[in-house]
Amino acid sequence: MSNFLSYLINGLAVGCGFALIGSGLVAIHRVTRVVNFAQAMFAVVAGLSAASFLSAGLPHGVAELAAVLVAAAAGLVVGVLAIGRPGTSPLSALIVTLGIGIFAYAVEIVVWGDQPRSFTGLRGSFTVAGVTVQKQYLLIVAVTALTFTALALFFGRTYAGKGLTACASNPYAARVVGIDVRRMGLLAFGLGGALGGIAGVLVTPLQPISFDSDVTLIVNGFAAAIFGGLQRPGAALAGGLVLGVAEAMIAGYGLGSYQIEVALGLMLALMIWQAARTPALHEETA
Amino acid sequence: MTAQAQGTSVASLLARLRGRGEEAGIRLPHLAGLLVFTMALAAVLGEAQLSVFILLGLAAMVTVGVSLLMGYAGQVSLGQAAFYAVGGYTAGLMSVHGLPPLLGLALAPVTAAVFAVVIGIPLLRLRGHHLAFATLATQLILLSLAGELEFLGGSIGLQGIPRFGVGGFELEDDRGYAFLVWAAVAVVVLVARNVIESRQGRGLRALATSEVAAESAGVAVGRSKLVVFALSAAFAGLAGGIYAFYVGYIAPGSFPILLSIEYVVMAVVGGLGTIWGALVGATAIILLIQLLNNIGTMEGMPSYAPSVLSYAVYSVLLIAAVLFLPGGLVPAARERLVRRRNAPVDGAHVKAPSRDTGGEITR
Repeated sequence: MSNFLSYLINGLAVGCGFALIGSGLVAIHRVTRVVNFAQAMFAVVAGLSAASFLSAGLPHGVAELAAVLVAAAAGLVVGVLAIGRPGTSPLSALIVTLGIGIFAYAVEIVVWGDQPRSFTGLRGSFTVAGVTVQKQYLLIVAVTALTFTALALFFGRTYAGKGLTACASNPYAARVVGIDVRRMGLLAFGLGGALGGIAGVLVTPLQPISFDSDVTLIVNGFAAAIFGGLQRPGAALAGGLVLGVAEAMIAGYGLGSYQIEVALGLMLALMIWQAARTPALHEETA
Repeated sequence: MTAQAQGTSVASLLARLRGRGEEAGIRLPHLAGLLVFTMALAAVLGEAQLSVFILLGLAAMVTVGVSLLMGYAGQVSLGQAAFYAVGGYTAGLMSVHGLPPLLGLALAPVTAAVFAVVIGIPLLRLRGHHLAFATLATQLILLSLAGELEFLGGSIGLQGIPRFGVGGFELEDDRGYAFLVWAAVAVVVLVARNVIESRQGRGLRALATSEVAAESAGVAVGRSKLVVFALSAAFAGLAGGIYAFYVGYIAPGSFPILLSIEYVVMAVVGGLGTIWGALVGATAIILLIQLLNNIGTMEGMPSYAPSVLSYAVYSVLLIAAVLFLPGGLVPAARERLVRRRNAPVDGAHVKAPSRDTGGEITR
């Protein structure tokens, strides 16, 4: 039982990371219809930056915040390249973001080298009901909860957030009422960068991160995001948590080597199920 | 809004049907010329260049398939190296167990195609980025499985694959493999050409524009997509089989995700949906990689230089090609040539198809 609980907590923490990356994908996709393959790159950049800032002497908190800002800036750059040129279709933009993701490899190797890096997060642990819980796990869960609350308030209560939602539901109508759709797209990319950055900063203390960690992160993040059809951040949260817990259980009960198969199989099954429910005509004219 | 969208896609569909018949294909005399030229190159190239020439042929085979799939049928595959791996493992496994290499090589494309049909039936229901992610996921699953399964050699891979041979005759040196590879390229190009020129090929072009419009015009959408998917897999499988014999060793690490992306870069840079584009794209990228490798391993360069250079150049090429040369190198060059030949009068007419090709990666 105590094993089960510790796997559960472990899985929830890891799942929060997936959920944050997935919600970044959703934030970008619902506004711009672009699937951002460079999404996990934000997490990698933020994780590596935070490690550098900390070793340069910045205190905890400041270093992480600065790293998230770096990731948000990276998000803006990706946005400018992906949707800055008029007439770039979503699928072309997808290939562009794929290219940026590879370009980031080159930059990351030059700046940080090709070895994995990490930093210590919140130290210490405590015991509840016979289960030892690291404080970093709690921090991850708390920050994720806070982030999603802030996201909900942002989309529901602020002018910019409502503008984003308007662009998501009908770009044409949004333009008619005077919303600059392209600027909103860039804002979405910046937001996506920050969300990816938060994930990276939180997860790096758990597992060292290197330039090519992004494949695992993006695959899991996409799997989380696809739960809500790439449209609903809340569904991405649920998807990430389910995925994280499922993977932790599989690893914990001795099938560790089949983690990626299960995660990807789940994602494929979901996508096919969704596609079967959406007729082609509906999708093409959407 | 809906009616209008359908209207434009039917219009562009018709424009495409008229516009690009012979442009995408390759004429038979040209194919014969290509075969003679590459065979001559295989005969005269020095040892050092031969290995690059062989790798180029292998990449060209896969890229023709990718180009057919993406540019022609409008389906994105980011997991083409999975089929390359299936072909390689098929040929490798059979010959390691003492079966004749010719059988292994013949079964490599067949196994890859069968695998493509099996996964294609569920996956090809997906469109656009969903399909792109699904093919990527398929490759990741396959690599992970190959790393786990005992009979495939696990993460160490298959070692000691014998050299290719028929009966008592055995391919000893690189030159023999160069002949084999480029003969295979000629076969692949011929098959691709015949598909493009067939009635089914016209149906494919239609479904790249709009599946709904194609279906309503009587194209068997599901089956057509599956056929091209299997065909492109067979091309990749054949290349993978030859690769296994040539290198003599394969492991999950031989088929990284980046390899799949490399094929997409080759197809996009050369020009999607044209056979010449695939060949030119593969040539340009392979030569560039070679050049970068030479620069990266020069004295005084840091140890990470080769990988950094290739990552940077790949990505910049890919981004620039998608943004500024959406038709790719070959259509752009052809357009310029044609425009110069028949001056401004026909300019507008010639421009139209290449715009279309740009939209094609897109849908």
